[in-house]
This record gives sequence, C-alpha cells and structure tokens, in this order.
Amino acid sequence: MTTTPFAPGTRVRTRTADPDGHTRLPRYARGVTGTVLEVAGHHPLADDRARGLDVPAQPVYHVRFRAADLFGSGEHTVTVELWHDHLEGPA
Amino acid sequence: MSGEHHSSTISAQVRRVEALLEERGLLAPGEVDQRIDEFAAGGTPANGARVVARAWVDPGFRDRLLADANAALPEVGLSMAGGLQEQRLKVVANTADVHNVLVCTLCSCYPIALLGPSPSWYKSEAYRSRVVRDPRSVLAEFGVTVPEATGIAVWDASAESRYMVLPRRPQGTDDLDEAGLTALVTRRGLIGTALV
Amino acid sequence: MSRINDVGGMTGFPPVVEEPDEPRFHEDWEAHVFALNGALIKRGVYNLDEFRDAQERLPVAEFLGSSYYERWFAAITTLLAEKGVLTPEEMAP
Repeated sequence: MTTTPFAPGTRVRTRTADPDGHTRLPRYARGVTGTVLEVAGHHPLADDRARGLDVPAQPVYHVRFRAADLFGSGEHTVTVELWHDHLEGPA
Repeated sequence: MSGEHHSSTISAQVRRVEALLEERGLLAPGEVDQRIDEFAAGGTPANGARVVARAWVDPGFRDRLLADANAALPEVGLSMAGGLQEQRLKVVANTADVHNVLVCTLCSCYPIALLGPSPSWYKSEAYRSRVVRDPRSVLAEFGVTVPEATGIAVWDASAESRYMVLPRRPQGTDDLDEAGLTALVTRRGLIGTALV
Repeated sequence: MSRINDVGGMTGFPPVVEEPDEPRFHEDWEAHVFALNGALIKRGVYNLDEFRDAQERLPVAEFLGSSYYERWFAAITTLLAEKGVLTPEEMAP
C-alpha cells in the first residue's frame, strides 16, 4: 500500500492526540495548521519502529508553522519534519 | 552527578558490559576501540566549511547543493554515508530576508557524519526548549543580532533529515580564495547561532 | 506520550552557555558508550528508535539528574536487559 503524498503548499493540521509511547510529533506542534514545504523521502513511522514493528514506509514532510500559531506570539517560523500519519489534511 | 568516584564507577561498568557482550559474541574484540578511532577520523566542522566556501564561489554548486545536498556533496569529496546509515541532508541558505537556525527539540539529531559530534549547548534543554519559541533571545546570548527586517526560520530535526545552514558570504572577502573562505566558517555558523 | 525529552517551547530553562574549546568527549567512557551503542544498533540488537524510546522511559528524576552519555548508557542497559541479552545483576555498578 502506498500513500499519495500531500503536495507542497498543502495546508495540513497536526494530530492532537498524545500517542501511547514514543512519538516524533513534538508536543508544541500538536493540533496546529501549517504548510507542507516539500516531501523529504519515505520512511517507516518512527513511533512504530520504537515498538519493534516492521511497517511500510510513508511520506515524510517538512511542514512550516507560524510561531504565532504554535505559541500565540512570535514573528518567526518553525519547520518540523513529520510523517504522513502525524497529519490530518488538507486543512 | 560527576566527580572522580562516579566517573570510575561508570567507567568500570561500561567496560564490564563490553566484556560481557564480547563473551556472548555480540561485540568483536577491539570493535569498540576501532569505532572510536573511526569516529575521531570522521566528520568535522571543516567539512561543512568546505561545502560553504564552494557554494560561495560556485553558483552552480550552490544551486545543486540547495536542491539535493546528498547528490552535490561528492563534488567536494564528502557524503552523508559515514553514520549508521546514509541520511538525507537539507541545506538551508541564509539571505537578506531569512536567517536559519537548527535544533532538535526531541533529542539531539545533528549531521554527525558530516560535521562530527555536536556541541553540548546544542544538546542542552536550555537551547532545545527556547530556540523554537524565542530564537532572537537565544541568538542574542551568542552575541548575534539579526536585523528586525530579516525573518527567522527555525528547523526542528524531528525525523530523518539532517540540516546544515549555508551562511551569507561576508562583505569584503572578494580577495579570498576558496581556502581562505573556508577558514572563515564556524561550526556555529553551520548551525545558525553565528552569522558565519 | 509527552515525555521529559519533549522540551520544545517549554519555559523556565536558563540562558544557553557555550563551553569554550569543548572536546569531542569529556571522559573516555563516554566515547565507549557512543561506540558501543553504534555497534549494537548495527548488529540489530535494537534500533535507533527503541534507543530513543528507552531514554525517554527513564524515571524523570533519573533522566534530569543524568548527563547526556549517562542517559545513553542507562538506555543501553535497559534494552540489553529487556531483550534478554544480559541481566541487570550482571550489569550492576
């Protein structure tokens, strides 16, 4: 099964759930809308690999957020690298 | 936390675990020492400085580096293959409009294969917690002031890519050759906590 | 889960301090821990994500009271015990 990647420019929203166990979706970037900059390859979800699961690769993205959307203030941007499963979209 | 007694205790404990793993056939004799030697001979910030200097003097290389750093690195005799596995490198260029800063908020991801081990401050909770939220204050602690008109882009290395900053070429360096330019570039410049 | 490692955006941490002329490793055993971890991952005893997870699962007080490579070694011994490679007694200080 292959996942069709979100195209650059797509607005996506990160998941809000606090997953059980290891995750590479940082707490500060949950439940926030950002923009896909580019696809950064395909990899098995680290959250699953940490449980010893052998899972298929999925798209990984650079997703850019406005600091004001993350923290309520700030003029800068923060770009986080996230797996497809970390995202709900298009937002 | 530290102290000589603690240090000798953990040192002995590490050696014992190594010896037990050798007994069980999970480590070859001398394997750890060999890996330490290889690591010491591996990545260093001088590699990043060479990449930056080449990008400053060769616009074609700069374009290729920003488009696909892994494909461009062999042009200067480097690669990202020195670690546990080859990692994707993303080079982000500073311009008049944007200054880039790198961090790994979840742990300490860093392009070790290219630049060698990261400095302790990069791994500190102080840096990792604060630079995503208030980068200008953190930059000020390094003595760096970015003009208000220049935006700040923070990159959190939260997955498989590793990053390197391509600083702006300082003014007044027209007379320097590639080696001279290489000498200007610092490790902090490659992370974004220095201008060069 | 939101664990103690996940500090991005948290307030309360002090200014960033740079150590001048910092060595690659401050003590010999740190280099051994670094190399040991690479060897065990390369051999498939555990993977890098399990290694990160094992650090994040350390008791919070132990995590905060440990240096960078002390956390690494604690994660290594945790995983070696969980995988049944060595017993905690064999690895005890």
